[in-house]
Amino acid sequence: MESKADGGAHHAPSQAWSKLTDTLSRWSFMLPSAILLGALLAYPIFYTIQISFARFDLMTFSAVEWVGWENYAHVLDDYRFWASMKVTLVYLALALPLQIVLGFGIAFLINAEWRGRGLVRALFIIPMVVAPVVAGGIFRMILDPLWGIMNYLLGLFGIGPLDWFGDATLAMATIVIIDTWRWTPFVVLIATAALLALPRDVFEAADIDGANWWAKLWSITLPLLVPIIAATFVVRWLGAVKMFDIALAATYGGPGGATNVINLFIYEEAFRSLRFAESAAMAVIILVLTMILTGVFLHGTRKLEEYY
Amino acid sequence: MAQTAHRPGRTRTGHKVRVGAGVVACAIFLFPVLWMILTSFKQQRDIFTTPPTLFFTPTLEHYIGYLQRADINRRLVNTVIVATGAGIVSIVAGSMAGYALARIRLKGAATIGVLILLSRGVPPIALAVPMFLVARRLGVTDQHITLILAYCTFLIPYVMWLMRGFFLSLPRELEESAMIDGCSRFGAFAKIILPISMPGVLSTLIFSMILAWEELLFALVLTNRFASTIPVAIAGIAGDTVNGANWGALTAVGTITVVPVVIFALLVQKWLIQGLADGATKG
Repeated sequence: MESKADGGAHHAPSQAWSKLTDTLSRWSFMLPSAILLGALLAYPIFYTIQISFARFDLMTFSAVEWVGWENYAHVLDDYRFWASMKVTLVYLALALPLQIVLGFGIAFLINAEWRGRGLVRALFIIPMVVAPVVAGGIFRMILDPLWGIMNYLLGLFGIGPLDWFGDATLAMATIVIIDTWRWTPFVVLIATAALLALPRDVFEAADIDGANWWAKLWSITLPLLVPIIAATFVVRWLGAVKMFDIALAATYGGPGGATNVINLFIYEEAFRSLRFAESAAMAVIILVLTMILTGVFLHGTRKLEEYY
Repeated sequence: MAQTAHRPGRTRTGHKVRVGAGVVACAIFLFPVLWMILTSFKQQRDIFTTPPTLFFTPTLEHYIGYLQRADINRRLVNTVIVATGAGIVSIVAGSMAGYALARIRLKGAATIGVLILLSRGVPPIALAVPMFLVARRLGVTDQHITLILAYCTFLIPYVMWLMRGFFLSLPRELEESAMIDGCSRFGAFAKIILPISMPGVLSTLIFSMILAWEELLFALVLTNRFASTIPVAIAGIAGDTVNGANWGALTAVGTITVVPVVIFALLVQKWLIQGLADGATKG
């Protein structure tokens, strides 16, 4: 169909017809994705919104009657929802900056020129392709208070034993550690490429002018890296707001909800407690918040790119 | 240490410290994986020791025992089917759309681009509830195709965006000359653009397959016995507090899950790193 659209355009009897087929051939590239995303992404979102405003009947397993904002009111009254939101915020506020800083720091280290550089960089791929649920499982073993190797090693330095999963603060640290272990390599690989792409002559000029390393880091390297740091942050943010598997495998939200990130909380409410309407309301709240923040971050990234 | 940042060779010790620190960082990041593989070959009595032992008589008992017990074989096959299916569907649909966004003038393309980017922020949990309900009503829960389609929701936007970046970096003359030579728009895409974008296509495909391979939430929600995947099994073992810590099984299944992906990823590491770098910089 497309082959006729363009090849025959010059001889087409009617200009309108050729214009139509041309438009069709242009849009035909979008068609498969548009259909799939419309059916699988847009429709479920509308359905979630619908359920969030309805009473959900477990006998017929469907939304039965319109109840307005009732489900939202329930959710906003639920202290567990707010606790879970706080947990999620703390996790994001700790994990994201940590991963960015650590990632760029390590990238700087492994960019030192030597024979093994390529190998070291390739090895950083490994943690990145370990399934998050496996990562959670491995660390459950490594951080085990009794038999884990971490507490043994810390013990050699006279620290601990630490109750990684029993103490609320430490459990949050555990989640952040696992997430950081899993995702820092991703930042490292992006940062390595970004550092290698920095123009050398600027640094040579700065050397000639006698700039010290701090001045160079602060006024050359960082400004040049700002767009890529921002882009990395956005990509990591998009991943981190969906975090679910690590918390499920490592702590299952415990102890006492200390690591119950919002995705895990909604999952539990929906599929364990079968409170679909409230879960849908929570999902909509999270969806709206995520959309707004993602939009803000994307906008900020653009602005930063223009500025630098 | 950082003094040598942009003055290679100025102080040799600084350089050595930097290399050393880099290697140590790498070792720390690899350790958990190595420890998992090591533990999977330990006998039960060697797993629970203080201090943790490095030297032991290796055994395959966890592999043999668990492979028989928990249907890991079937789950492995399921995971392969679902990851391959989801990878292929999304690379086909996603790279076509990515090409349209990069190269074809479409009314409202900018809006579509923003929508796609935003859709990458949709939390899967917001889709899991309605998908479960719809799949249940249609009677398609616990089937491969359901999971494949569910994975398209996050894979297609991902592929679209990465491929859009790849296509933008290609010189425009390529398909223009092809189309002057009588190629249709689709012909130019299939015969000229796709072949030279192969590294990008393959690395994106592999990454999509890895994302599908390790997905947990949809797999938990949409499958129960027949089409269940490996991550679900691992979540089950890791969260099994009734029988206590079954580290042998956990590490054995973990190793089975991780090692093939690692080998695959290392084989194409050059493209993967390139793809990551491009994906971040050309977004």
